[in-house]
Amino acid sequence: MNSQISELPVEIVMVEDDEGHARLIEKNIRRAGVNNRIMPFTNGTEAVKYLFGADGSGSVNKGKPLLVLLDLNLPDMTGVDILKRIKTNEHIKRVPVVVLTTTDDAVEIQRCYDLGCNVYITKPVNYDSFANAIRQLGLFFSVIQVPASD
Amino acid sequence: MASISESFSRIRQGLLLGIAFVLLIVIAGMIAWLVEQSTSDAALVAHTLQVQNTLSELLLNVRRAESGQRGYLFTNQQHYLDDFNEAAPEVEQQLQELHDLVLDNPARLAEAARLKELTDAKFVEMRRTIELNQSGQREDARALVLGGAGRDLAAEIRKLTDGAIADEARLFNERSNRSRLNSQTLLAISLVGTLLIVVIGGFSIYLVQRNYRQRELAQRELESTNANLESIVEYRTADLQEANEEIQRFAYIVSHDLRSPLVNIMGFTTELEMLRKDIFERVAKLQEDITRLQAPVEPAAADAVNDLGKDFDEAIGIIKTSIERMDRLINAVLKLSREGRRQFNPEQIDMAAMMKSIVDSVAHRAAESGTQIEIGDVSPVESDRLALEQIFSNLIDNALKYGRPDGGHIEINGRATATQAIYEVRDNGRGIDPKDHQRVFELFRRSGVQDRPGEGLGLAHVRALVRRLGGHIGLSSELGKGSQFTVTLPRRWMQDKTRRSAA
Repeated sequence: MNSQISELPVEIVMVEDDEGHARLIEKNIRRAGVNNRIMPFTNGTEAVKYLFGADGSGSVNKGKPLLVLLDLNLPDMTGVDILKRIKTNEHIKRVPVVVLTTTDDAVEIQRCYDLGCNVYITKPVNYDSFANAIRQLGLFFSVIQVPASD
Repeated sequence: MASISESFSRIRQGLLLGIAFVLLIVIAGMIAWLVEQSTSDAALVAHTLQVQNTLSELLLNVRRAESGQRGYLFTNQQHYLDDFNEAAPEVEQQLQELHDLVLDNPARLAEAARLKELTDAKFVEMRRTIELNQSGQREDARALVLGGAGRDLAAEIRKLTDGAIADEARLFNERSNRSRLNSQTLLAISLVGTLLIVVIGGFSIYLVQRNYRQRELAQRELESTNANLESIVEYRTADLQEANEEIQRFAYIVSHDLRSPLVNIMGFTTELEMLRKDIFERVAKLQEDITRLQAPVEPAAADAVNDLGKDFDEAIGIIKTSIERMDRLINAVLKLSREGRRQFNPEQIDMAAMMKSIVDSVAHRAAESGTQIEIGDVSPVESDRLALEQIFSNLIDNALKYGRPDGGHIEINGRATATQAIYEVRDNGRGIDPKDHQRVFELFRRSGVQDRPGEGLGLAHVRALVRRLGGHIGLSSELGKGSQFTVTLPRRWMQDKTRRSAA
């Protein structure tokens, strides 16, 4: 078992159906000085395909340090399903998942943490707060250690 | 129709039973009479036998006396006279008895009198022969006997007695026949009576059973109707619950999804703002450069740039305030929909304490505006604490917000009926126009001069809560004089509402 910290730069997989949101998130992450590669997906199907590969096993991402930014309201599926799949996949279950969504429903938040989500952030409408939150998240990204997928 | 024919049949039943009972009473009377009759018949039969007996004994005693007399005359032996002497008083006595016995029968009474005459004559004749014999005139006595007068008397007595006995025998037959007939009649009537009792009893049992069956049938029908009704109510309630849930979900999803584009609008507006800053800074720098290059800038151009900046700021300002407002509204809808899904926890609540704590929390504001708040008698209630706190906080807050700026007065009162607890919050503030009395309870609707902060949420929220608690809210108000909100709640928590709130 490869349990060492990856030498490769962390890749951020951003699953966000709203292109505007995606743009704002990316802008603010960059402003925080995070220059890692960001892979944006606007629907669940494509994101799943990227994360788990064509065979759906997740082995394509073996050994790659990933970080997932996940919105819950996707046009083709709910982000909760993607979260559940990531956290039960033997290859990418250790990938940190940051749920970034508009929902601040207590039940939903609880459910996500139960399923293994690492951070849950509600998007504030107030842009200053929003930008601030994302920038802090970017700072967080620049310091956290991400394990390589097994 | 059914009820008319039913009442007819009920009357007919009553009539039949009535007739049957009258018949029974008549039969009972007849039986009593017949029993009485047969007792008197038996007495008459016994009486006849007694008369016969007395007559036989009388005849026997007359014979005995005669044979005593004859024996004495024939043998001259004194002891033959014993029979005669014994028989004589008995004959007397039996004649008297006979007389008493036949008092009811005139013909027999006459016969008894005649018998007495004959007997007396017979005894006179016998005594005379005995006296003659005792005084030694034996021949004279013999001659008297031989004269045959005594024998004739005896024969006549016997004939009379036999006749009477035979007549009594006829009477006996007659009476015992009648008695037998009576007994038979009695038996027959008793049998008829018994039969009638059996028939009436059977009929009554039939009626009772039929009534019972009908009642049972009706009850079963009622039960099934009730069950049906209940299931209909349940069905409708489930429908309503579903519709309610649907609306809650709808409100939640809509408001939720509305926020998403709002984030973009807000975000990019801010980005634009930042861009504007950059652009104008660059323009300013360019102007500076131009100035440095000694090219005179027309003041009008600088003013135009300034005006442009102001317009830009104004537009972005309006967009941002609108977005903020929209965000507040969406949040309000979200909050309402979330409140609508919250589960209630019923408990016994000391309303006086709750009102006091609410009033304490606004005491500072009340003091600032010089408003007096008075809490009257408020009865406790079994309900959800948080919901009641929200309801009365909102009402008291409104009363303060729209109260009179000088000498405001707020009164909180309560009363209770058997099933309801009623609370009133009254102020002497600006009041609400009657045409807005319904509108103020609607979401985002407000009344009067819009000079106070607010989104038109409070009363909508209050009404939704009161309704969910199973109560209702009323408003009476007059412009410029004040408003009174009346909240009516059930005193006891009702079971089915927990189900409603769970939805």
